[in-house]
Amino acid sequence: MFHYRQSIAIFAIVVPAIVTAAVIGAGISIKSKMSTSFETKLASYKEYETGRLSALELETQVNKQRPLLEQWEAMLKQETASTVTSNLRQITEHLPPKEIQQTAFEPLEKGGFGSASAQKSSQIRIALRGTFRTMQRAFHELETRMPQLQLQDLKIDTAASQASLLNFQVTYTAWEK
Amino acid sequence: MATLSHPASLNPLKQFAQAHNVLRRTSRASNPAWYQEANELAFQVHIRVDGPQIVTFYFDQKKNLWSTGPTLTEETLNDPSKIAPFANEVLRYSRSQGATALGVILHIADEFAIAELKPEFDNPAALNDLREKATLDPTSILEDSSVQADQSAWRVLPYPAAGSASIATTIALSRHYAPFFEALRLLAEQANYPIITSALSAPLVAIMGVSHAIAPGSAKPFVAILQYPWLTALAFFNEHSDLKLVRTLQHRGLRRPTNFRNALATTNASLEFVDPDLFLIPLGSNVDSALDADLRVTFANSRVEVLQFALPDGVPAWCPEPAIAAIPAATDVPHISSHTFSTLREEQWATQNFLPTPREIEEIYPTRAEMKLFRYARLSWVAMAACALLSLCYVAYSAFRLVSRPEWSFDTSAANAAKGRITKFGQEKVKANSWSNLLEDRSKAWASMEALAIMFPKDGGMLVKTYSHSAKPENASGKSTLGFSKEWKISGLARDESLDYLNQLNTREGIAAHFSEVARITGNSAYNPSGTTRNLVINVRTQENTGYKPAPIEEGHMLDDTTYPFTFDLTITQRFEGTDPLAINSAKIP
Repeated sequence: MFHYRQSIAIFAIVVPAIVTAAVIGAGISIKSKMSTSFETKLASYKEYETGRLSALELETQVNKQRPLLEQWEAMLKQETASTVTSNLRQITEHLPPKEIQQTAFEPLEKGGFGSASAQKSSQIRIALRGTFRTMQRAFHELETRMPQLQLQDLKIDTAASQASLLNFQVTYTAWEK
Repeated sequence: MATLSHPASLNPLKQFAQAHNVLRRTSRASNPAWYQEANELAFQVHIRVDGPQIVTFYFDQKKNLWSTGPTLTEETLNDPSKIAPFANEVLRYSRSQGATALGVILHIADEFAIAELKPEFDNPAALNDLREKATLDPTSILEDSSVQADQSAWRVLPYPAAGSASIATTIALSRHYAPFFEALRLLAEQANYPIITSALSAPLVAIMGVSHAIAPGSAKPFVAILQYPWLTALAFFNEHSDLKLVRTLQHRGLRRPTNFRNALATTNASLEFVDPDLFLIPLGSNVDSALDADLRVTFANSRVEVLQFALPDGVPAWCPEPAIAAIPAATDVPHISSHTFSTLREEQWATQNFLPTPREIEEIYPTRAEMKLFRYARLSWVAMAACALLSLCYVAYSAFRLVSRPEWSFDTSAANAAKGRITKFGQEKVKANSWSNLLEDRSKAWASMEALAIMFPKDGGMLVKTYSHSAKPENASGKSTLGFSKEWKISGLARDESLDYLNQLNTREGIAAHFSEVARITGNSAYNPSGTTRNLVINVRTQENTGYKPAPIEEGHMLDDTTYPFTFDLTITQRFEGTDPLAINSAKIP
């Protein structure tokens, strides 16, 4: 008669096997959870590293652009019409007065290139009389000082009174902040 | 060791605890002797009790050496409380001989009773069944229904001879030596040293040993007369040396049974033995030595012979049973062979244990198979613990490897900070790029004037009268970048020599070359005609000047319209698609 066989089988084999399996299972579970957690952290870390490098690259680019941007913003904050007037005055002071004369100045509502963008803009129309090259120099100087000016219209025709001079009518779209 | 209970009275957990206790505190798992028979052990003590005398022998089976055993008195044998000196001595001696277990074999020669089986069991095929019932439930097979099972022990003895009156009989011995064995077993448990006991019927062993004492050659039936101090046992064998009947005659205080000759003669007659050989075997140190002479007179036609056993040194001739019982079945070479002798030896009919450990005591302890199972299970614990430990070590190692990496201790808030920096710089970059886009040199007056200036070279025979230039964005909503178009309209006068130039300009290649030149000179990328996002078209129309007055050229003034035979109208249209780098961002800059 085997009175002990069942209890030995249960408590000496089955129960230890279950306990062992539970320990191993718990170990596998813990490792799995840690691995999953690590994968998440690793992904975050890689994302962080990529982001950090991107941020550095961006920072480098932005740092290069920043002085220009600050300069632009300072310039764009100024009122367009007065700035154009002021600049034109300064430009014509350094040019022969007989070769350039401002004949009209008219601020206009938003239009032209400005209608294509939601960004604030305005238009100005300027009439001038002068020689071709002097006028070109004046426009070059004005457009260099004020890069926000985009040429909208330009009309050139001969002046009826003075054959050596040309009439210029120019319309600019000026981007504003 | 704590008191053990029968496992049937315990729940499984307590059964396991008890088995574990036995495994841990006893040598039952490691010493197989606990589960062997007494005669299988290497070191044995044989005790022979024949009534007036008790003799003991040590038997070292490995050395096949017999020696005189310790003194054992009848008082000790019958009073277990006085067993300690004897038991301690045999234990001490056994251990001194290097034995790991001790077999105690009691040869009972002071009693030998026969009880007949019920007639319904007269079936040779039922012998094994009878053997089991004789041990477990003797009253069910015995003809005498008045027997008390707790007072005696019965064992079946087969009669292999053909024509026997019955297939077997039973030998009965009283249980009055059982307390002696019980005391020995308790001592063994206390000492954690296997002492395995066995009680044999000395006459049965002697009957089995007859084959070693009789000389071969006789073809007659014979009677073995076992002459013990207190009884005489008669074993009747047929001419094939097969046992046909066993009888026992008590001496009742005399040196021989009173009706011996008569009993022998009548039994011979009943068995139809005619002048059988009579082999007298004296099995006591002081038995009636005149019996053989009397038999020769009474049974004149029979061969009467006193048998002597060839015994090893240390065993007296009058007590051969220990030596006979100790002969292993595999090495037993009898002088005469018969089915009876081989059956008695091989099937151990003659060496049945009359006083085995009671089943209820035996069942307290796990069986050998259960102890093996438990032992292997404990070994498997080591394996399982190792697996679990390895698993935990692996997890710990893996965890350590993970934790020691910098990614593990990474703070996710740093990632958020980095994202914030990217967002901040990204917004700043977007802002800068947006302004850069709006401030691109897509349409400049000075560049347009330069384009006009180099379009009509000096002294080229052309006079520009009007010039107009306009730029306008495309009408499209919902797009992030919008294209635009620029148009130049130029009218003027031309002489003959300039027509080829105008015709050349009025081609895709011609106007593209002009724009490329403007782009090169001014550095203004808006005049670069290459790329699939830009389209450049020119249309030049020339016609006769109605006011032309032919005159020698040298006489004509450059500004005199009448000196030009042709007029021209030139229209240039340049389109920029929404995908062009100079396309206008439609969104408001943040």
